[in-house]
Amino acid sequence: MTRTRSLEFLVGALPILMILALWQGLSAYGVAPPAILPAPAKVFARLVTQLGNPAFLAHVATTLIRLFSGFAIAVIVGVAIGIAAAGNRTIAAITRPLVRVLAPVPKVALYPALILIFGFENTSKIALVVVDAVFPILLATYQGASMVEPKLVWSARAAGASARRVLFNVVLMAALPSVLTGCRIALIISCIVVFLAEMITSTDGLGHLLVLAARNFETVDMFVPLIMISMLGLLLDAGFNALRARLLVGFPEEG
Amino acid sequence: MISRERSGREATLSRLLSLPGIPPLIALAGLLTAWELAARALAIDGLPPAHAALRAIPGILGDPEALLDILSSLRRMAIGFALALVFAVPAGLMMGRSRLIAAFFNPLLMVIYPVPKAALMPIIMLWLGVGDAAKTLVIFLGVSLPLIYHSFQGARAVEEKMLWSAAAMGMSAPLRLARIVFPAALPEIFVGIRTGLVLALITMVTSEMIVRQSGIGNILFNSLDMAQYDAVYATIVIIGALGFVLDAGFELLRGRLVAWAEPRHAIAVGTA
Repeated sequence: MTRTRSLEFLVGALPILMILALWQGLSAYGVAPPAILPAPAKVFARLVTQLGNPAFLAHVATTLIRLFSGFAIAVIVGVAIGIAAAGNRTIAAITRPLVRVLAPVPKVALYPALILIFGFENTSKIALVVVDAVFPILLATYQGASMVEPKLVWSARAAGASARRVLFNVVLMAALPSVLTGCRIALIISCIVVFLAEMITSTDGLGHLLVLAARNFETVDMFVPLIMISMLGLLLDAGFNALRARLLVGFPEEG
Repeated sequence: MISRERSGREATLSRLLSLPGIPPLIALAGLLTAWELAARALAIDGLPPAHAALRAIPGILGDPEALLDILSSLRRMAIGFALALVFAVPAGLMMGRSRLIAAFFNPLLMVIYPVPKAALMPIIMLWLGVGDAAKTLVIFLGVSLPLIYHSFQGARAVEEKMLWSAAAMGMSAPLRLARIVFPAALPEIFVGIRTGLVLALITMVTSEMIVRQSGIGNILFNSLDMAQYDAVYATIVIIGALGFVLDAGFELLRGRLVAWAEPRHAIAVGTA
């Protein structure tokens, strides 16, 4: 078992290494001029130097603050509406058609409206993250909470728990695996959206660094923020997954 | 919970509400009303009332230049999406049926997953220029992942016994993939297509907003720059309607084509 695992790992590393080798080869043999495709070694060296540069880290911090604020608000709003809709038929009857209409709308199109309402600063970007991240959380919470075993609710009610306590202590807890899956999807979405919003209009943050580098045709600096945000996404995803595994100790295994 | 007598009027109302298409229409009307009221209450320049924005829609769609611009964006979107379908569905199906192929591609896809695809636009434009190729490629990249993922999941869940029987009857491996795995995975593939369609639109709009050269994303920011707020909101409504029509239209088609499969809940969200 462990041998096939490590073999699979090696097989999986292959395409990534092949792409890096191809990339290095293309620039090393001058097929692609460095102005168009800088060597990967150069890009990663720049990334490492930038990680020691306080100005660069300040941009990373700005991006992260926007990301986490938006994500946190989306979690609170999404879980609250999802649970409320699962517990109350009137709320569900109102929420479901609204979600049906709004979920397939490209949220990024709302960005100009959010700029007009909240200004060009942080708030409009955080608001965009919220509207993009809230739907997967809301839907996952609603679906998870709707599938909670009714007997759990009945026993808690019979034991004298109030309807509200049942909603939070029984339904939400039983729906936790689904809720956390929704949050995980939403976290990556937040990460991507905050970067795109910063690319569209911004004066700081990682997305802004990419646009700035593109304007000055500094190709190495175009790759650095892109790799940085992707790595942040991978790290946040891995971190959230570890958190999810801890929170779900004792829950039955599921995809 | 508590059963109660329903009056005749209430029964008619609930029958009306259960008609497909009626609740979303009511939701839409509710949203527009809320918008109208909020705009009147706030009374700021940045939030014109709904009726003003709706009145600006014919002006945008009636402008032949803007309409052509939007249509050429949609054509690129369709091409990028079709190319992704041709590539991603077979790739996903093969990954689902071969552990080696899955092991080969999975880590790569995992690394690509958090990359903002629309953000690749400036880099791709360095390579392919400002023409259609770059814009189509970005859409292709944006939608490929969910298509591969859902085809992969669908192919993985195919009943083994069907494949054994087919193999026992002498069906070759490629034929098994086309005649058994593909139809069996179809409901799941359709979930991927649904996610992908919305994602294609999102990627298209986002990349146009980043590059600001053509398309509906460009119209949106041009109106913003010129402080034509009614037009900004009208464009948003047009994009939103495109998303809803694509999604609802595909749902209708899916209901026809894979009516035999259980209706599946899909989280129809995604981002570029």
